[in-house]
Amino acid sequence: MTARRTAELAVGILPIALVLALWQGIVASGIAPPVLLPAPGAVFARLVEQVGNSQFLQNAAITLYRLFAGFSIAAVVGVTLGLAATGSKAVESIVKPLVRVLAPLPKVALYPAMILTLGFDDASKIALVAADAVFPILLATWQGTAAVEPKLVWSARAAGTTPRAALFKIVLMAALPSVLTGCRISLIISCIVVFLAEMITSSDGLGYLMVRAARNFETVDMFVPLISISILGLTLNAAFNALRGWLLRGFAEEG
Amino acid sequence: MKQLSAIPGLPPLLATAGLLAAWEIAARAFDISGLPPAHEALRELPTILTDKESLLNILDSIRRMAIGFALALCFAAPVGLMMGRSRFVAAFFNPLLMIIYPVPKAALMPIIMLWLGVGDASKTLVIFLGVSLPVIYHSYQGARAVEEKMLWSAAAMGMGRAARLARIVFPAALPEIVVGIRTGLVLALITMVTSEMIARKQGVGDILFNALAMAQYDTVYATIIIIGALGFIIDVGFERLRAHMVAWAEPAHEIAVGSA
Repeated sequence: MTARRTAELAVGILPIALVLALWQGIVASGIAPPVLLPAPGAVFARLVEQVGNSQFLQNAAITLYRLFAGFSIAAVVGVTLGLAATGSKAVESIVKPLVRVLAPLPKVALYPAMILTLGFDDASKIALVAADAVFPILLATWQGTAAVEPKLVWSARAAGTTPRAALFKIVLMAALPSVLTGCRISLIISCIVVFLAEMITSSDGLGYLMVRAARNFETVDMFVPLISISILGLTLNAAFNALRGWLLRGFAEEG
Repeated sequence: MKQLSAIPGLPPLLATAGLLAAWEIAARAFDISGLPPAHEALRELPTILTDKESLLNILDSIRRMAIGFALALCFAAPVGLMMGRSRFVAAFFNPLLMIIYPVPKAALMPIIMLWLGVGDASKTLVIFLGVSLPVIYHSYQGARAVEEKMLWSAAAMGMGRAARLARIVFPAALPEIVVGIRTGLVLALITMVTSEMIARKQGVGDILFNALAMAQYDTVYATIIIIGALGFIIDVGFERLRAHMVAWAEPAHEIAVGSA
């Protein structure tokens, strides 16, 4: 780490420290009663306490399950459709207008319909996560695979690869950086959406814990799930970046 | 196929018709009370759109969205541009933004409601937060990519720092800022609907869950169609405006995606 990076890091910590100091300052000055704004120390102490609590962990596990179920569906559907749209003109002519209509639609508005058709349980939440996460992956796969150099495919075809095999072995592999970028965006989106879905209707999960705390005016417990989901998002993002770096070793570094 | 898709606006129209047809068939095939056929939901549309109370509710939502969006734009674009032009400003804001990024903005609703009440202020603030991040990010990327030579020339001719930011960096970064605005617009709508679903006091999101609670399924689906149409109209309308404003630049992303 160079001196410049260290300096930049120090500058970056400054605003975070300022926010925390301001928070502590407001609490200490007594402008806001602890019922409205608990002290940062109290919130973090509660967070540490909850991490050892089996009930809290169970709720977190339910949230994680819904998150990954939805994300996996989105990844499979998104990559398949994106690849198919690049590989076949007929598929493209169907997928393109559908994406044009469905992508800007706020998926959360479909949530009541999902509840009505799939029930109040896991299925409707997983469906919402999948619906929100699928478009970044689909678009990234599509744009990535469409930009693959045709020469690579021609060479593989000349060497005797079938068109279908070339699509998977050459086009998808060459577009991997773009595909993984789409997946990373979708992972964060999944994190956010699963929490919101649990807030809107649920009887378990981190989002539900927040709503329950809000109903009971337990302010400290409102902050804990919110901070947990953010830490979860940051951790998943970092883990995915590490995975991406490992998968893409050998690819030229992109800006 | 080629002649058909050459007519502008026809493919999305066909796609919409296809979706409605698929819905109608699915509703008839499964025959569950939670999924009324498409024509029943469509028949409900004029009732909602002529009902004074729901119309006021919807317009109220749109007004809040517009205010939150405009405020976010005035704040986020300058911040993003400054981050793009100064390493110090970028280093200052980046870690904070990275931490805020995975926080579900609409989930802040219950906390903000404690402080600001259930009125317009909390909802507008949540929309403001939701829109700010993508606009900051894209303005930052746009300003970072401005050609240094143009700035050097301007500086050599005696242009000041602030003037350079306004007259060179801003126009050069405009195409990228516009991409951020488009994502922000979609996000404003998503955040608006989500926050109303969580707060359940007024607005479109409230209509949805009220109808759901009262088992008026036609109204639920009709409202979903209205929100969907709103999203599509905003996106297409903005795309037209973009083509007019920054006609010299090709769009980097054809379709906006995002989530609150």
